[in-house]
Amino acid sequence: MSFLAPLFLFGALAIALPFWLHRLQTQSSERKAFSSAMLLESAKQQVHVRRKLKYFFLLALRVAMLALLALAFAKPFFTVSNDSVMATAAGTRLIVVDTSASMGREGVFSQAQGEARRAIDDAPGDALIQVLAADNALRIAGEPGNDKAAQRSVVAGLSVSELHLNYGEMMSAVERIAATLPQPVSLHFISDFQASAMPVRFSDLVPAGVVDLTPHVVGTGEPFNWSVEFLRDGAEGLDVGVSGAGDTERIADMELSINGVVVETLGLSQTGQQTLRFDAPVYEPGENRVEVVINADDDLQIDNNWYHVVSNEPPATIPLITLNSGGLPLTYLSAALESAGDYVVEPLLAGDFDARVLSRYAWVVVDDIGLIDPQLEQALNDFLLGGGNILTFSGERAAAMEVLPLTGHRHSSSSVRTQADEFLSVGQIDVRHPALAQTEGWPSVNVTRSMPVVVQDEDNVLIRLENNEPFLIERRMGVGRLLLLTGNLDNRWSDLPVRPVFVSFIIEAARYLSGINEISKTYTAGASLPLSLTGNTSGQVVDPDGNTILSLADTTREQQVSLDKTGFYEVYTPQGQAVIAANIDPLESDLRRLTQDVLDRWQNTTGGEALAVAVAAGAEETKTVELWHWALLLLAIVVIAESILGNVHLTAQRA
Amino acid sequence: MSTAHTRPQSTRDLLRPEVLASLKNLDLVARSVVEGVMIGLHRSPAFGFSQEFAEYRAYAEGDDPRFIDWNVYARTGKTYIKRFLGDTNSHLMILVDTSASMGFGGPPVTKLEYAKFLGASLAFLAARQHDAVGCMIFDEEVRDYRAPSSRGGKLQGVLHCLDSATASTGTKFDKPFDKFRETMTRRGLVAVISDFYCDIEELLAGVRPLAWHGQDVVLFQVLDKQELDPEFKSNVLLEDLETGEAIEVAPQFMSEAYPKRIRAHVDDLKNAAAGIGADHVLVNTSNSLDEALRNYLLFRQRRQ
Repeated sequence: MSFLAPLFLFGALAIALPFWLHRLQTQSSERKAFSSAMLLESAKQQVHVRRKLKYFFLLALRVAMLALLALAFAKPFFTVSNDSVMATAAGTRLIVVDTSASMGREGVFSQAQGEARRAIDDAPGDALIQVLAADNALRIAGEPGNDKAAQRSVVAGLSVSELHLNYGEMMSAVERIAATLPQPVSLHFISDFQASAMPVRFSDLVPAGVVDLTPHVVGTGEPFNWSVEFLRDGAEGLDVGVSGAGDTERIADMELSINGVVVETLGLSQTGQQTLRFDAPVYEPGENRVEVVINADDDLQIDNNWYHVVSNEPPATIPLITLNSGGLPLTYLSAALESAGDYVVEPLLAGDFDARVLSRYAWVVVDDIGLIDPQLEQALNDFLLGGGNILTFSGERAAAMEVLPLTGHRHSSSSVRTQADEFLSVGQIDVRHPALAQTEGWPSVNVTRSMPVVVQDEDNVLIRLENNEPFLIERRMGVGRLLLLTGNLDNRWSDLPVRPVFVSFIIEAARYLSGINEISKTYTAGASLPLSLTGNTSGQVVDPDGNTILSLADTTREQQVSLDKTGFYEVYTPQGQAVIAANIDPLESDLRRLTQDVLDRWQNTTGGEALAVAVAAGAEETKTVELWHWALLLLAIVVIAESILGNVHLTAQRA
Repeated sequence: MSTAHTRPQSTRDLLRPEVLASLKNLDLVARSVVEGVMIGLHRSPAFGFSQEFAEYRAYAEGDDPRFIDWNVYARTGKTYIKRFLGDTNSHLMILVDTSASMGFGGPPVTKLEYAKFLGASLAFLAARQHDAVGCMIFDEEVRDYRAPSSRGGKLQGVLHCLDSATASTGTKFDKPFDKFRETMTRRGLVAVISDFYCDIEELLAGVRPLAWHGQDVVLFQVLDKQELDPEFKSNVLLEDLETGEAIEVAPQFMSEAYPKRIRAHVDDLKNAAAGIGADHVLVNTSNSLDEALRNYLLFRQRRQ
């Protein structure tokens, strides 16, 4: 039984009061003369006992009254299991088999399956058996049941994955599952018990709802393992991090292949961590699949490969929608973007613009938002809603409008400045924004002309002038983004295009709008690939084995794809094809085991305190029964009884 | 309103303890009681007790010459003693216990006051029948003693002896009975007035020799109503008047167990008295005095 307000139990100390009062009362008898005590002698003890007994009953009622009052205020309750958690004497035997990549050592996983079968066979006959597979998630391998043969077949169906296992995350998942199973739950964990799988906090290893842990250690012995830890693509070549773990020296060779063709081989003979370099390879145009393979007969083979993608794409074309294909905006924009080497600006006259080509680009530039006619406005709006991005500026046409197209902004009360000798500096900059984080020199910009607009609720003002007018505004429209600079790429409006900050700003804005910063080409196996960041909301992913991951329906709605295998994934989107590399988590390559002390502490901690924790953790699955109203009812009965008995005593004394 | 202030409505009312308590003179009390009792008895011939002539018998040495019928002597020249009904005992000895426990009781009268009324009435009644009467006041010791005598003025001495008795100390029956045996010269009647809070065997040890010597012993056990049917509504600490011992008792005990105990004690005393040929009369101080006297007269009638 527990209490919601246990401090009220201190009120039970008031029980001392009736004890004190009763003690006084027993001392205050009237003294009278009597002829002889001869016949009273033998009656003395009997009278005393009877009086004590009677007063004791009254005292007991008063004590009970105060105790019940304190109890009612303390709000006692107890929990009972609801129907979904059926408590059985045998409970549940939870058998968790480690299926992480490190279990792929030769013979280790079959040993683990043997241990799992023995744990099944040793289980009490009426115990519920649940087999789980643990890697980067805890997976239910089969339906729980008492049929041991069926559970053995579940174990036989388990296989090693290429994912990493963290014991802390696994135990957290075990807690959630154990809470739904008949109690008590005993856990049999079959693993190689890698030290690298330990969580940061030891307490994360203690699963609530599990009364004991039986570890089954497999893969004993001293393993030797080569592994590739990283690959860096530099100008001078490819740097590869290699680790050789083990007591004995092993000789191996490491191959570099590009798009399936071995281009270079290096020898390995030194254990420990080392960095080797392949000479600058020649890449093919487009994305190159770079793979490093260590050819060695070591204990764990899966970490001998490392996958990498090197992009050798031609500069991306950025369309500039303009009225003048030879104007200053094109000049300044081209100079800035092409300085990065990744982009080429392509001027497109607004009058000749075919909206259908928008789907080819991740983002477009409009040098004067005022040139957007209704037809183009509709096309750009659809482009934004579909995930495209736009960088646009004000211009002479925009200055002549009351309401800007596409954004609906209105001119603010202040008129457009036209005097060249009146200029403003930049006042505030949101340096947290990705498009501005790497830029410097904004305070040196002098704005002689701008087109202040009324900021709307959905706007995010990134730069304000010193008079607090918005200078750079971002607005999200659908899943797309629009950056509006209230100035123009014309040195008559400001000196921004000729300032160094303009180059860094345009390049960072280009990266931001194209999503380059958010797309990684290399992932760790088990990570999620956000499809929406590839430029559109739909697509298809082909895994390293050539199988499509997404169903037809998911190609338009799936936002996250889990990369469960190592190798190259092909990502198809309306914007084109991309290749993603997924590698094994380097933590799985570290085959060092937990020390016996740590393992013993884990086991002992799970046995004792876990039972108490299990009660609290299982609160969601149990029903709380409050007792305070029963205490009040009992209190009322005791009060009535005490009043009657007390009145009897009072009447007797008055008479 | 106490009944002591109520105007008596009949002769019997005059014998109620509260009325007698208002009479300061013990002689007057005894006279009132006896006269009241005798009025009742005349209407009841069954008792057969009166000053009427019963028989003549020849004068024997030691007889009181006052009772010689000189008319018979004149006609016959022989001396005859004229005997009356009830004129069978030669003397009455009244033993009154004045231990501290006898001071218990009332209002209106304590047990000792009631014992004085009873003793005085017995003495007056005996003197009226020309019996010799004496008395002994005792507690642990013999406090006062008047040898039995039928001479005129002797009654006043007895009444004075009774009137001056006060309650004190404890009770011991061996000394008064021993004293009485030392002075005992002839057969007579012994009235012992006490509450008899004593060991019955010890009492019998003193009474038994008297009975063996032909004395007619009657034990007047005087008890107050509070002793026979105590009424306590709450716990009370009762202090023994003789020993000072204090015992806390509950009302339940005093209303249930104690009356049984006191009646068992009375019955034991009554049975023990019967065993040695003595008589036992329980006197409740809340009752009229005539009841005790009636019992006494009945006792005398049986012994004649």
